[in-house]
Amino acid sequence: MKRLLRSLIRIILILFGFLFIFTLPLVFGSAEDTVLVDFRSFWDGLKFNFQSLIQMNDSSYLELFKELDITNSYQYTMTILGGSLIVIIFLAIVISILIMLTPEKVSNRLKNGINFFEAVPDLLVILLFMLFVITLYKTTGLKFLQLYGVFGNKPYFVPIMTVSFLPLFLLLQFLVKVITEEQNQQYVLYAKAKGIGRLSILLVHIMRNIFPLLILQLRTIVWVLLSNIYLVEYVFNINGFTQQFLKLLFMGGDFASLVACLLMLAIPLLVMEALAWFISKFIKGKEAVSI
Amino acid sequence: MRKYRKTIIGSSLLLLLLVMSILYPYYGPKDFNHQVLVKDDQGTVIGRAPFPPSENHLLGTNRNGEDIHWLLLYGAQFTLITAFGVAVLRVLLGGIFGIILSLWAPFLKSYFKDFFLTFRYIPSILLGIILMLPIVGNFSDAPVSMIVTYQIMILVFIGFPSVTLFASDVTDELIKTSFVQSSFLMGAGRLHIVRKHLRPYIGSYGILFTVQQIISTLHITMQLGLFGMFLGGRNRAGVFGYDSPEKPASLSNEWAGLIGQNFSEIIRAPWAILSPVIGYFVVIVIINFIKKELEENLDGFQVVKKKQKQKKGARAEARSTARRGLFEFVQKL
Repeated sequence: MKRLLRSLIRIILILFGFLFIFTLPLVFGSAEDTVLVDFRSFWDGLKFNFQSLIQMNDSSYLELFKELDITNSYQYTMTILGGSLIVIIFLAIVISILIMLTPEKVSNRLKNGINFFEAVPDLLVILLFMLFVITLYKTTGLKFLQLYGVFGNKPYFVPIMTVSFLPLFLLLQFLVKVITEEQNQQYVLYAKAKGIGRLSILLVHIMRNIFPLLILQLRTIVWVLLSNIYLVEYVFNINGFTQQFLKLLFMGGDFASLVACLLMLAIPLLVMEALAWFISKFIKGKEAVSI
Repeated sequence: MRKYRKTIIGSSLLLLLLVMSILYPYYGPKDFNHQVLVKDDQGTVIGRAPFPPSENHLLGTNRNGEDIHWLLLYGAQFTLITAFGVAVLRVLLGGIFGIILSLWAPFLKSYFKDFFLTFRYIPSILLGIILMLPIVGNFSDAPVSMIVTYQIMILVFIGFPSVTLFASDVTDELIKTSFVQSSFLMGAGRLHIVRKHLRPYIGSYGILFTVQQIISTLHITMQLGLFGMFLGGRNRAGVFGYDSPEKPASLSNEWAGLIGQNFSEIIRAPWAILSPVIGYFVVIVIINFIKKELEENLDGFQVVKKKQKQKKGARAEARSTARRGLFEFVQKL
């Protein structure tokens, strides 16, 4: 009973937090030449938004949302997200193993190089990619890299490359750090003493043990990917989900549509959290693996 | 031994940039070498802005024919001051609130988390756009100071929950240490704990948080600039050659505004947008060096890193902690 009450309070709080955050701009009613502070309109807006969430059988409910090309664009955006996630995981594991196999002098320098990339703004990467593709086209005349998403084009390669560039370094940094820590463990020393090669220790033993940590880290990666995709779709003018979302915003869509869009954007994060939850539960079950 | 070499060099570089930017009206050309058309001796037009980088225009010019390097120098002050101010406000408000949350009202923490759950699922750039759209989205005749105040409030608000929770986590971790626990057991009040035991940490963590928040503010202003949410609103008579519909231009020439207003020119004049982005990059790199060094210096007391390692439920915390109120003194003096 107590738990039920608690979760009820939580749901109400989440809902009201959401309403509060998105009604906040109404505190500042924009008059002709000044910006007013107005708590009444805030309260009215709160009530209005709440009502528009509840009235589901209204015919105008989610009207704009239905008009937009949601399913296609959502599928497209999620394909980019999934594709770049797979690319990132694959490349990060391969490169981190390669880094660990190189001699210490080289690998230290490589690690410093990776650390440098955390300061690079995502916008710079996106713009440089864009200019690179354009100059490639201008100088060679080859058009094998599709950039813009106009005329119903659906480019995949360049967006995935651009989006995954920075998160790749993020995951790489994480993996290198974790593997380095893992190499000080007793079992690695034991395996070394038994004469197992470096590569097979890395691939068989260490990889198996850091796999749960990798899964837990994926949420952060997806988070960064999502905000990157948002910028990329705007810069490359790709007709993805976020473009639809922007359209909705600028056309002044109703609150319920906004909520629906935001929920759809949050789905990948929720999936990652569920995955992390299962993994941590699984590990708790067999305590032999220590994180 | 603690070293602050990078911090000192980095911050003095930034300070130099800021001072040069503020003193710009005293030495720089007032109109940023405004020059749209280049004519030869006979008066025929031989060139038209935007000009590429050359000897006359170090970083090229924008469509208005203004020199990018002067614009960058002049606009730096607004970008830097905003980032710094927002970061300080975030840390100040969030820190105070976080300490209060975990010392005086620990039961509220989970509710606070729930209330601001939205921030965990929606990228801050989206939040920024949604919240700023009503005020900044259109040409508004409201005074600039009001618009800037509103924008700064939104920027502070976006970072507030994460700073609060972070500060609260650090405080929780500090409360568990033995010296605070023994102080509690000897009957110290909460204010005493804050003043005597937490204050040294508040200082160093506060600076570290501020540096981190400066970086995140720089990122978000840059991204908002791309979407046309300039600091200080939009300037109506903005960009040369766009009469109807009017193209928004930055009023203050701060860097995010330069990014936004030159974005549509990326193919004709890539230097006009790349230079402010690279400017951001340089500033972020400098601040990142400072951050790294501060983090290394804090290594002796690694609350935060330890927190990150033990992810949810991965390891059960089996330590009992004494809190005020869980026990009573038998003899009250």
